[in-house]
Amino acid sequence: MTKDKMQDGVAVLLEHASFRYANSDFSAVKDVSLTIQKGEAVLLCGESGCGKTTLTRLINGLIPQYYEGEFSGDVRVCGLDVAKAELYETARIVGSVFQNPRSQFFCVDVTSEIAFGCENFGMPEETVRTRIAETADEIGIEDLLGENIFHLSGGQKQKVACASVAAVRPDVFVLDEPTSNLDVATIRRLAQILRHWKAQGKTIVIAEHRLGWLKDVCDRVVYLRDGEIAMDCAMGDFLQIPSEELAAMGLRTMTACKAKQTMPKNNMAGTIDIQNCRVAYGNGRPALKIDGLSLPKGDVIAVIGDNGAGKTTLARCICGLEKRSAGCVCYGGKRCKRRELLKTSYLVMQDVNHQLFCESVSDEVRLGMDEANEPLVDGTLAALNLTTLSDRHPMSLSGGQKQRVAVAAALLAGKQTLIFDEPTSGLDLRHMRETARLISHTRGKCTSIVVTHDSELILLCCTHVLHLEEGRMRAFYALDGEGRQKLEQYFRTNDKPNGKEEEQIGRKEPGRKEETVEFETTVCICGES
Amino acid sequence: MKTNKLNGKDLINVGVFSAIYAVIVIALAMLGYIPIFMPLLALIGPIFGGIPFMLFLTRVKKFGMILMMSVIMGILMLLTGMGYYSILVGIISGWIAEMVYKSGDYRSTKKAVLTSGVFSLWIWGNFIPLFTNITGYFSTRQDFGQAYIDALTRLMPLWMCPTLLVAAFVGGILGGLLGRAVLKKHFIKAGIA
Amino acid sequence: MRSVLQASAKKRGLVLDPRTKLLLLVTVAVFVLGGAGGEALRWATPCLCAVSLALLITAGKYKTAAVCVAIYVLMDTLQRSFGGRTEGIVNFLLLASAGILTRFLPSIITGAYVVSTTTVSEFSAAMRRMHISERLVIPLSVMFRFFPTIGDEFSHINAAMRMRGVSLGGGNAGKMVEYRLVPLLFCSVKIGEELSAAALTRGLGADVKRTNVCEIGFHAQDVAVLILCIAPYVYLILNAVGVL
Repeated sequence: MTKDKMQDGVAVLLEHASFRYANSDFSAVKDVSLTIQKGEAVLLCGESGCGKTTLTRLINGLIPQYYEGEFSGDVRVCGLDVAKAELYETARIVGSVFQNPRSQFFCVDVTSEIAFGCENFGMPEETVRTRIAETADEIGIEDLLGENIFHLSGGQKQKVACASVAAVRPDVFVLDEPTSNLDVATIRRLAQILRHWKAQGKTIVIAEHRLGWLKDVCDRVVYLRDGEIAMDCAMGDFLQIPSEELAAMGLRTMTACKAKQTMPKNNMAGTIDIQNCRVAYGNGRPALKIDGLSLPKGDVIAVIGDNGAGKTTLARCICGLEKRSAGCVCYGGKRCKRRELLKTSYLVMQDVNHQLFCESVSDEVRLGMDEANEPLVDGTLAALNLTTLSDRHPMSLSGGQKQRVAVAAALLAGKQTLIFDEPTSGLDLRHMRETARLISHTRGKCTSIVVTHDSELILLCCTHVLHLEEGRMRAFYALDGEGRQKLEQYFRTNDKPNGKEEEQIGRKEPGRKEETVEFETTVCICGES
Repeated sequence: MKTNKLNGKDLINVGVFSAIYAVIVIALAMLGYIPIFMPLLALIGPIFGGIPFMLFLTRVKKFGMILMMSVIMGILMLLTGMGYYSILVGIISGWIAEMVYKSGDYRSTKKAVLTSGVFSLWIWGNFIPLFTNITGYFSTRQDFGQAYIDALTRLMPLWMCPTLLVAAFVGGILGGLLGRAVLKKHFIKAGIA
Repeated sequence: MRSVLQASAKKRGLVLDPRTKLLLLVTVAVFVLGGAGGEALRWATPCLCAVSLALLITAGKYKTAAVCVAIYVLMDTLQRSFGGRTEGIVNFLLLASAGILTRFLPSIITGAYVVSTTTVSEFSAAMRRMHISERLVIPLSVMFRFFPTIGDEFSHINAAMRMRGVSLGGGNAGKMVEYRLVPLLFCSVKIGEELSAAALTRGLGADVKRTNVCEIGFHAQDVAVLILCIAPYVYLILNAVGVL
């Protein structure tokens, strides 16, 4: 492939690019023209389905080489016609980091994974070894070299993914929602990595829902709607847009808001008690150690904490899924066996694909349902906008729709305790609010527990907060005025720069102001309808 | 790009479906480790294996993918201590399976089921050691007595050998039909087949 | 299943080149499983078994070695004691079980050793050194890398099923299989697609010869094992020719 002479300084050039996926009725991207200069960091944002992921795939060549469909227009990266070039040619200049840490790695150990790209390009062994060492140092994962990737946390896996891509030293980095499943600390780390790449003169294009962490990373924001560019401005200007307007655009705000919650009353009495709960993993280190905890029945309790703090383990204990747990969960003073717990609880899992079994939505929501609830089915489907979809196969739906089906099944199952594991990771504003509304409606009917990193969600639908740290209970408080401050504190603390970490990522940036948190006390009306 | 060479996407597909197929077959083999059921494996393995295999066939549009899977199964058998016979059998049966599927232009449903039948023959390779060199095996066990030898010979009579071959083929056909049913019910409806 | 080719990259006792291990596997298959050479090579079987066991022990897998030996001894004893003395169904079951197990066990021990002491990268590197086509190496690597993923997905699906109360398929065996296999296939296909995209955007399938940073090579211990493996073949040929 010959590289045409390009204007110096242009990294990415899209001219009238359009694309429609093979099985789709509408165009994902319509007549998009975009120029990105070398060294720029561009944020692509918009509602679900706006075309930002498609745009990233146009840049890294996956469209039209990997994803089939109708393509027209011109896409050039550093002079290379990406639509015509082979994927491995494009891979030399464009590195891609994807959303799911679990499915990006090809090898089983970290060292081979970092070497993967370089090896594919036939670089001599000595060069590859040097690259591995350099990249590991830059990203700050020298202690992970040689480890089994399956044993790493989500955040560590994403860092390894970044290292693997960076080792090839591409000119352009394309990231597609890389923070979907990550905690606040890891996101901050990722921001440092991006700033480091920027400092090296690389061009960055990143598609995201969670925008706050990119404040100090990106210098330009491109907002997409229905496959077209609706707005293209500098980051400084973007930050001036008031929260209401951002909400109207369907974007998560850069600063969270204090929502006015109108939640149903809770008249349920009693508590769910967790006593002497101990779960230890193979290496002897306790994963969870809770001596005594009382959760009020009928309320909505948020569980927060860093990745690895034991949130999911606790959720599994309450459901009766955790075999290794010693200790007990008591309902109203009565100690429950695991089998009883399974009957009274329902866990809506993070990956919704694990819990869809039937060939139509209407069968799916009825699976495991008590026959007495049959009259409730139509109402529930209607409340969740699923009535028109009731004959579709659940796996043919979009991510958000699948999630609603899972929630419908949960609500219809009529269980006493509902647990939601990261229900809003990867969701845009509208769907996050819908989920918040649904969850807040469960108050008074059953006890809901929400494991999440999403501060906005917590404010919109939760009544209490449980803070876990390294398997232990750090705090448990109601979300009243004082509680909100404590919550703010948690998210603010996690944003504070840590001196030691700074040094591992390139050079210190002098005079950088303290990162602003996702919280500010602006009031906005984000009530539920 | 429109060549008939197997590209990265195809190779990864072979790897992914080989993994699922292997897990099913090996899980069944574990159950059949009440060794009396081991011969039954020739039948049930391909039946359940037919489900992922039929989904795999929807992604086969070029020559070589089925053969690769066959050889890979053989290598896996060698690594787990079942010997190298599956590789030998697998190369031949895989090749024939390719021919069968190709003759249907990679689209015919009937040919797909037939391909499943032929492909499943690789599993027969695992049973060959039970029939080879029976006398050699006994020579080390002469002290057991004639009754013993008679009993064992009755257990694994030579006619079992081709029977198992046929069982594998039949299992594969049944698996193909089962896989086809699951395809229609789920995967085609969901749009991934 | 979870530990298939998941050996740690850290040092683990006597390190053999993967190619040596492969030769050992084939040799055991030829002489122990297949019984090649018949009477004349009776000595080969116990020797090769001893080698495999020894290697397993040097790799630190004491428990596995102990279990394997125990099973073999148990089965062999049962065969000897009751083989000629029982009748009918019991005899049949006994001989079948013992017979099949004792036949395959040595080979399985060797397999267990190879699989637990070789990482996927080493295995791929060895295959490439043997000039085996990329078309075989890539699917094999993907397959081994995918095994633990299948385990994970499966346990999540099982948990979801228990939550819904359909673990036993509501009594229907067919449903039991359907509810497990179908989501597993959906998830696997999705992960497979994401894996492909991630690999292709890092140059998989490039038109250059692929390099590998894995360090494999022959050392003294390889030579020793190689000689031990080649010996039976040599003996076989010499025997056939009539020399020995």
